[in-house]
Amino acid sequence: MEKSTKSKKRLETSRELPLIIAQYYQECHEAKARGIPVGWMPPMNGGIELFYAMGLQPVFPENWSPVCAAFGLTGRNFEVAENMGYSRDLCGYLRNIIGYVHGMMGEAGNPLGGLPEPDIMLPPLGGCAPVMKIFQALMRRFPGAKVFKADMPQVAIEDIRRHHIDYAISEMKRLIAFLTEATGRRLDEDRLRETVVLSDRACELWDEIMAFRRCIPTPIAASDIGIMFVMVTRQGTQIAVDYLTKVRDELKERAARGAGVIENERVRLFWDNIPLWYNMGIFNYFEKQGGVVVAETYSAAWSLRLDTGNPLEALALKTLMSYPLVSCVSIKKRKEMVLKACRDYAIDGTILHRNRSCVPITLGQMDIKRELEAIGVPSLIIDADHMDGRNFSMAQFQTRADAFMEMLLHKKGFSL
Amino acid sequence: MVSELIAPFHDAVTNREANLNRLASEGNRLMGYFCTYTPIELLHASGFVPVRIMGEAPKVEKAYNLVPDFICPYLRKSVERGLEGAYKSLAGIVQGYTCDVTCGLVDIWKENMGGEVFHILPLPYLDQASSRSFLRSGITDLVEKLSEAGGAYSEQRLADSLDLYAGIRSRIASLYDLRSRRFLPITAREFLIVVNAFFVTPPERYLAMLEALGQALPEAPPLNGGTPVLVSGSLVEDPDMLGIIEESGGLVVSDDLCTGYRPFSPVDGHGADPVERLIDRTMNRFPCPTRSSAEDRIPRLLSLMERSGARAVVFLVQKFCTPHLGDLPTVREALSRLDIPSILIEIEEAGTMGGQNLTRINSFFEML
Ligand code: SF4
Ligand code: SF4
Repeated sequence: MEKSTKSKKRLETSRELPLIIAQYYQECHEAKARGIPVGWMPPMNGGIELFYAMGLQPVFPENWSPVCAAFGLTGRNFEVAENMGYSRDLCGYLRNIIGYVHGMMGEAGNPLGGLPEPDIMLPPLGGCAPVMKIFQALMRRFPGAKVFKADMPQVAIEDIRRHHIDYAISEMKRLIAFLTEATGRRLDEDRLRETVVLSDRACELWDEIMAFRRCIPTPIAASDIGIMFVMVTRQGTQIAVDYLTKVRDELKERAARGAGVIENERVRLFWDNIPLWYNMGIFNYFEKQGGVVVAETYSAAWSLRLDTGNPLEALALKTLMSYPLVSCVSIKKRKEMVLKACRDYAIDGTILHRNRSCVPITLGQMDIKRELEAIGVPSLIIDADHMDGRNFSMAQFQTRADAFMEMLLHKKGFSL
Repeated sequence: MVSELIAPFHDAVTNREANLNRLASEGNRLMGYFCTYTPIELLHASGFVPVRIMGEAPKVEKAYNLVPDFICPYLRKSVERGLEGAYKSLAGIVQGYTCDVTCGLVDIWKENMGGEVFHILPLPYLDQASSRSFLRSGITDLVEKLSEAGGAYSEQRLADSLDLYAGIRSRIASLYDLRSRRFLPITAREFLIVVNAFFVTPPERYLAMLEALGQALPEAPPLNGGTPVLVSGSLVEDPDMLGIIEESGGLVVSDDLCTGYRPFSPVDGHGADPVERLIDRTMNRFPCPTRSSAEDRIPRLLSLMERSGARAVVFLVQKFCTPHLGDLPTVREALSRLDIPSILIEIEEAGTMGGQNLTRINSFFEML
């Protein structure tokens, strides 16, 4: 396996992230210790806001996998899962978390104290197949957790109709009733509204932050994308809003003085698919030749606004839309998004991460590639895996990335 | 080699492309689907002949311009056959949402292969009143879309289509019953051909073929010999895959396959109106791992084994098939706790069970 490397962060606010991450996990452990119910749930759904509004503690096993990758723990987790019979062809998030909960979880020395055991589990009935299988495995591992299964209609964004929304709302209502019953806590409507306002404010800030990527040179790049941690784990809280406000302000200041991520930005790149969590340093790889990875697909999952006047419907819509935004539920939509990003951010070339661990986000890439070519944006396919470094060869990546950069520089009239 | 009895089914499968083209040239409208959760009765009631996209491509090449090599071989080959023009007679694809890959492929197909109607029907996972009415709304959407494309839907037509398909399923169910009691005088290889013909034959004709088969089947003494096994897994196209199991010392007495028992069970649904009947059957389907968990499936597998006397399980799983691979460790562990031996064979692009797998299956049966 390649050695895990971290990306070089340029933003002061990015450097605060380790603290923000540590605080979040500390809060999770404190909640557990104080008897506040801890619920495990998939990311990108409206359950998070409900949890915060009810004073419950949400935990995201999927987010734990990038943490394991950053701390170099995936090797052991994969080994445990693979020894249990889980195929190496399965998504790395699945193998990592199953290996973790059957292996080092609970041992001394877990980074950030590890994951606290769930009191509640919200297995999704929707999203991708691996995420459903992940939660089925987690329910097996923690049979004592109270379980609520919610249907999440799998529908392309452009096909969402009233009945999809109504069904998602009715599932949200069932979830509220379940949480009330399971925890003895009531959902206060005003508190829910406030949470949704905060959640929407975070989305608005997210969009403002993304908009700074239009600046040439860009003051923020994919190497700083770790900031999305607060969108994954803290949406609906003041903490997310405060942190994103600081990021936004820093970017405003940097943009005003024309401070780029690197000194001499020559080529602007776009990254499609999930980053290599064990090797975030490759985002910086292009910098020696003046290349900056300005934007990436993944961040689009949080580019949606919530109707604060209608909190439940807003959360239902968020649940319906987030996953399709980045997956193969609607390749048409994703294609439009990538093309728009290329135009908005003046992208010179795209890197398409052909991700062995994530079929839903990889599927459709070849169609996207063709469309990019049609608008004159060349692309490079990188064969890798967002979790499993065994499926990535740095040497091969370097050869191909160097040739790609050379071509782009030549195309833009730069001498090498 | 297949027996005379099976010849029409064999022809339907091996000459599917010519047959489909002929059907289209005779004025029939064909609608494609990948997964058996698609409400084919509704397609039929709207005037389309439902055709499952399948088809062994000898070699996958062109498909790699559209899809990665880490999706299941079944779908890679389907795309290859699509690009070769094998499905140009289809008016489009309608797909019940099951596996992520098939659903992504609907979009890819639309962009690259063309067609008029493309639709993914979201299916609820839960069975509660609100899920059923949600599915009803989805069905209304689909009917609307099919009607816009010239479909001729009516409730009466749906009732007729449901009757027709129930007729087919009940006859297939009798064959399954005969097989589980060892009275089916055809091999597993042949039975797979019979089943696979269902997916590419207009149902009226298929029913007639089944009736003829039923009459022609000789009264036979029960089969003996061979270790009775259940075959579980995703889609199996190549009859040799089952043939080899029987030639290596197994006797297939039951299955949980996507080209087997699953799409035929239950035979029908119940409801106050035809749509409710369709919904009811969909909700009560013998579950596929895309829509259920190992816990839902284990008791069902055990009950199939008990009914058929199967003593071992052969898992035939398409490589890279997440839903099946994700359930496998739990299902196999449950079997091994009951001392039921099992073996996993992954279906690769090369298809037939050559070399290493053949040796493994041989030694599996020797060991039993
Ligand atoms: S969306 Fe991709 S990365 Fe996430 S769980 Fe599903 S397959 Fe894995
Ligand atoms: S074999 Fe598996 S991966 Fe392939 S279409 Fe079926 S469920 Fe999907």
